[in-house]
Parts: sequence; C-alpha cells; structure tokens
Amino acid sequence: MIPKISPGFEDVLPVEYRELVQDGSYGRNLRIKDLGTFKESIEEHPLCAGCALSLSIRLIVASLPCPEDTIVVGTTGCNSILMPQLAIHNIHSLFGNQNAVASGLKRALKIRYPDKHKDVVVVAGDGGTADIGLSMTMHSWFRRENITTIMLDNEGYSNTGGQESSMTREGVVLYMAPLGKKYPKTRMFEIARESGCAYVAAVSPASPRRLEKMVRRAILVARAIGPTYVQIYCPCATNYKFSPSETLKRTKDDEQIREYMSSDAKELIERLGE
Amino acid sequence: MSFIAKLAEDLCTGCKQCIFACPEPNIIRFNGNTKKVEFYIDKCKGCGLCAEACKFDALEITLA
Repeated sequence: MIPKISPGFEDVLPVEYRELVQDGSYGRNLRIKDLGTFKESIEEHPLCAGCALSLSIRLIVASLPCPEDTIVVGTTGCNSILMPQLAIHNIHSLFGNQNAVASGLKRALKIRYPDKHKDVVVVAGDGGTADIGLSMTMHSWFRRENITTIMLDNEGYSNTGGQESSMTREGVVLYMAPLGKKYPKTRMFEIARESGCAYVAAVSPASPRRLEKMVRRAILVARAIGPTYVQIYCPCATNYKFSPSETLKRTKDDEQIREYMSSDAKELIERLGE
Repeated sequence: MSFIAKLAEDLCTGCKQCIFACPEPNIIRFNGNTKKVEFYIDKCKGCGLCAEACKFDALEITLA
C-alpha cells in the first residue's frame, strides 16, 4: 500500500514524513544507482560512526524489489536499534525467534493476499541467526518456507560489549573474550546450502551493485521457490578497534563473494533476467 | 569535539561513490542540475568512509 497525505494535512505533517510520501521509494522501482536522488526509507539511526551494518541495511532497503509490500522481521542486536527508524513494515521478535515469526507471517499473508506477493525478509545479526536462533533458522529452511534470511555478520555481539559469537574467527580477542576464540567460524553458507535453501549468497557492502543483485535474486527466488539466505560481512569498528574510515577497506580485503543456486532457482533467475 | 565531512565542490565529478559508501541515509544527495553531490551535514558522524571512497580527493574530514 502506498501512503498518501489526507487533504488539508500537508502543512502540519513533519517535513521528513512529507518528503517520504512525496519523494520516497514506494512504488517507483528504484535501485541502488538511484541513491541520493530520492528520500530513503531510513531517516537516521543511532549506530556507531562508520558502521558497516548500517551501510548494509541502507543498501538492502534500497535494493528491495517491492518496498511497499515487504515486511522486515528483525531481532535483538545492533540492527534492532535501527529498525524503529525504518519506514518499511517491520516486526521485532524475541532473540532468535525471527525465522519462526517470519514463517507464520508469510503463511498468514499467503492466505490474506492470495493474489499478491508479500515479501517477508528476515534481517538479523550473527548472534540471532547463527547462535541463539540457529535451530529456528534451520527449521524454517527444512520446512521450505518462502522467506529470505539476511544475516549481517559483524563477527561478535557488538551491542553488548563485544562477546565472541560463533561467527567470530578463531584466535580473535575481543573486550569480553580476552583469551581469544578457541574454535573456527561457523560455516553458515554451507549449512544453508545443505539445509535446502534454493539460493545462498555471501557478499559485503564494499560491492553495492553485487549486493543489490544478490538481495533481489534472493527475494525473487523466495517468492517462487523456497528459502534463501544472504550473508553480508559487516566488520565492527568499535569492537575490532580499527578506525571507522577503514571499514570498507577491511571489507574488501577479507571479502569472499560466493553464490550458490539450485537448478530451479537458476532457471527462474535467467527467465526474470535478474 | 566532533568531525564532519567537507566537500570541495570544484573537484566533485558526480561519480556518486561517496553516496554508496556513506552509512548515514539522506546526508549526501545528488543534484541532477549541477551533476555534483550536496551535503546535508547535520547528521554526519564524521566516519570518513566517503573521503576514503572519493577517488578525486574532493572530500576531507575536518573538525566541526
């Protein structure tokens, strides 16, 4: 649904809201290349300076194929303090429950809007997806739910002072992990592929066009075929103790862009020309 | 003490790389008439990602 301003209320609405209605991204099929020429759906956010996670969410929101018909399901983490400022339908779920909530939501939306695509996109951190919510994430993939799961991998619990997560690399010392991590990073890409995801991708915000392509593909495949998973590498300047201006450089150095698609998904993507 | 980005307009080519690198939404806008970027600086946190992304040295981080 595209919002409109009721007649007579144009001059009393806050200027940000008015700009969003008049110059926002709803119903205009805008892409990442159009950034800077329209009012973005995030007004502002309280995340740290140079946060790759906020840049990733900004790029994800600009890549959505149909922002007016998208529901974002978030969970506890750095991303959840940005979500209230997001002008797209979103739900905050309990820590780890995001894929279970999204499964129910998608099923309800299929019944309520049988002739319309409503995209349910889970945007969660590495703690919510790979640690606390791993069972619910994997079971939503086993059940072949039509949802897209996007993991913002900042390699730790950055919101609570820097504890190690299962996505932290081996040997890394953090504020709340002073002895260094003792086992390697969880291979979520492979877990997603083997659990039945039709489309799996790993990317970083240093390649915005590629990120857009992968997010769009993941959402379009999830509409028609089955679960999809995108992993976005977002290093954390605050807990990994580097200068905020180095974020994208580090992302580029450690980048591992990977993509897997099932034969059905490949056929669909070729047919849609994405 | 805080930092903000400062744009040297004559060096800007309008390549938009700073817009794709900035984590803050709606700060850097592209002006279609002048083919250059404009800064709405109040919300800038001075992280310096735009200055790193600029290949023409049009951006620098200064004290606010």
